[in-house]
Amino acid sequence: MRRLLKIFKVSFRSINKNRTRSLLTVLGIIIGVAAVIMTISAGEGATMQVQNQISGLGTNLLMIQTKIEHKAGINVRMGRPIDKKDFEILQKNAVWMPKISPMLAIGAQAIGPSGYKSTMVYGVAFDYFYISSRELQSGSFFTEDDVKSAKKYCVIGETIREELFPGEDPIGKQIRINKIPFTVVGLLKEEGSGGMQDMDDIILAPYTTIRNRLYGRQRGYTMIVGSALSEDHIVDAEQEATELLRESHRIKETDDDDFEIMTQIELQEITSNITGILTILMGAIASISLIVGGIGIMNIMLVSVTERTREIGTRLAIGARQSDILTQFLIEAIVLSLSGGVLGVALGVLGNQIIYKATGFFIPTAIYSIMIGFGFSALVGVAFGYFPARKAAKLNPIDALRYE
Amino acid sequence: MMPPRKVVETNKLSRVFKNGEIAVRALTDIDMVVNEGDFVAIMGASGSGKSTLLHIVGCLDRPTSGVYKLDNVLVNDLDKNQLADIRNQKIGFIFQSYNLLSRTTALENVELPLIYNRTGQFSNSKELAIKALGQVGLSDRIYHKTNELSGGEQQRVAIARALVNNPTLILADEPTGNLDSKSSFDIADLFVQLNNEGKTIVMITHELEIAQFAKRMIFLRDGSILTDKPIEKRNTKERALRALEKPYEFENDGV
Repeated sequence: MRRLLKIFKVSFRSINKNRTRSLLTVLGIIIGVAAVIMTISAGEGATMQVQNQISGLGTNLLMIQTKIEHKAGINVRMGRPIDKKDFEILQKNAVWMPKISPMLAIGAQAIGPSGYKSTMVYGVAFDYFYISSRELQSGSFFTEDDVKSAKKYCVIGETIREELFPGEDPIGKQIRINKIPFTVVGLLKEEGSGGMQDMDDIILAPYTTIRNRLYGRQRGYTMIVGSALSEDHIVDAEQEATELLRESHRIKETDDDDFEIMTQIELQEITSNITGILTILMGAIASISLIVGGIGIMNIMLVSVTERTREIGTRLAIGARQSDILTQFLIEAIVLSLSGGVLGVALGVLGNQIIYKATGFFIPTAIYSIMIGFGFSALVGVAFGYFPARKAAKLNPIDALRYE
Repeated sequence: MMPPRKVVETNKLSRVFKNGEIAVRALTDIDMVVNEGDFVAIMGASGSGKSTLLHIVGCLDRPTSGVYKLDNVLVNDLDKNQLADIRNQKIGFIFQSYNLLSRTTALENVELPLIYNRTGQFSNSKELAIKALGQVGLSDRIYHKTNELSGGEQQRVAIARALVNNPTLILADEPTGNLDSKSSFDIADLFVQLNNEGKTIVMITHELEIAQFAKRMIFLRDGSILTDKPIEKRNTKERALRALEKPYEFENDGV
């Protein structure tokens, strides 16, 4: 143990003797580790943002829509569309899903006094405001009665306001959606953009109005959205809705559902899978730079072995075993790569902070990314240090002593 | 009287280097005994095999045939690790070009062999190193780095390094080859002192006036021992320095 400690000291001293070179050697590892940490953290940050957005979609959300299958690359609607009858059955009977709203989505052109914009118009019921947990910055939602009487009211998002009413208060003003005049009654609070889609590029209107005026001859609804009683009952709500709809659609016991229910939890799982794969991929690309850094270490270690051939010969002559020399050079390589690892972690964390300060994109430095970066740098040290160390240990002492 | 302890004993020692098809006989049938307390100078032209002999005696190389015993240990049979350990425990090496660690203090250089000692008997390596530096007269240079020392001082550090593990045998390979005459005599004189203190020394040199500091001279030619005689009139530092001033009066009656 004492001997190992002393060999450690020997290694440290030789690194210290060539400070500039050691630092340059380590630079590859520093950048590699920092890159791994920053990419993984960026992936984590993106995941977090997407997850936030999904939880921002609504409260204990369930989405019920017609089953869509991919056939030869084309989306094909299977079975009957989700329609008014389904909505009424669920509204009457679903205990675990007290809030429920149809949703009719159409792409439309919205024209205001100062501009126009292509956007998505959603026809929804009053409950939708609860389900989607959207809030207003001014005006009011359209009411249940407005929906019943198919009023031409709408609630718009901030992006729409910016395009249609730059610098103006839109409440009470008219806009035209596909040439049909609507009165703006409410302005939604900003949800923030970024990530998948702009949550403020949106117009909400009573589904009755949309169906009558804009939906044309399409049957059914785009989907039905509902809110489970509580987070614990999302699964119950899903089961209950499945049973109700199977009964209503008269699906035989042995047949599959002709509709799909997607819950917020499932959506989160799917997206976290996707972003997880993305994170791994980016981390893998970043770790290539670590391998390049490792090759740099190997290169310098080989030079160092050649340069210090005489020294190695002397050490062997005065009684160092091959294993002592191997240990010494291996420790040198590992110390180099580990100090690169430490500096890389520091740089990575700092880099995350700088990106946060500069762009406002918050990157949580994932603890496991630090461990991966650091562990990988140690591994690189061993893997790429071993070859030069072995070369040093295998030197013939006589030849090494004679080496000029 | 007890027979003297044989530190080095070789019997029909030969070393053949094979380089492809060509075999070079570097040493042929060397019979040599070095007793404890002896001071042997090995001379010979380059290619005479003196380095090869030193390498074998120093356990850096193994003979092709013949027997070599160091301090009654049969070296022929030892594996690499055992050779390393025997070098560490029984031999002190001194090289022509000192072979010290650059930019490292004298103390750390002298401690070096003790790092690799596995017997655990040198826990006080620092004290031992300081003592060894004292033995070579460098007590005031302990914390000097090697690049701050003169050639002669560097070789003294190397000698201290060879002494620190209290070896059975000190091997010097052209120890004065890189030094000026005066420093050379200082080093040779130091060897004499150490020998007087009981150290067994084998020294390779091609300088006659240095060889004559020893007690005994072995002359090698073409891998065989040509002569092996005690030196009757040993050189001393004073005489060597005097001879330096009047080179023509140098007495060459030792051989």
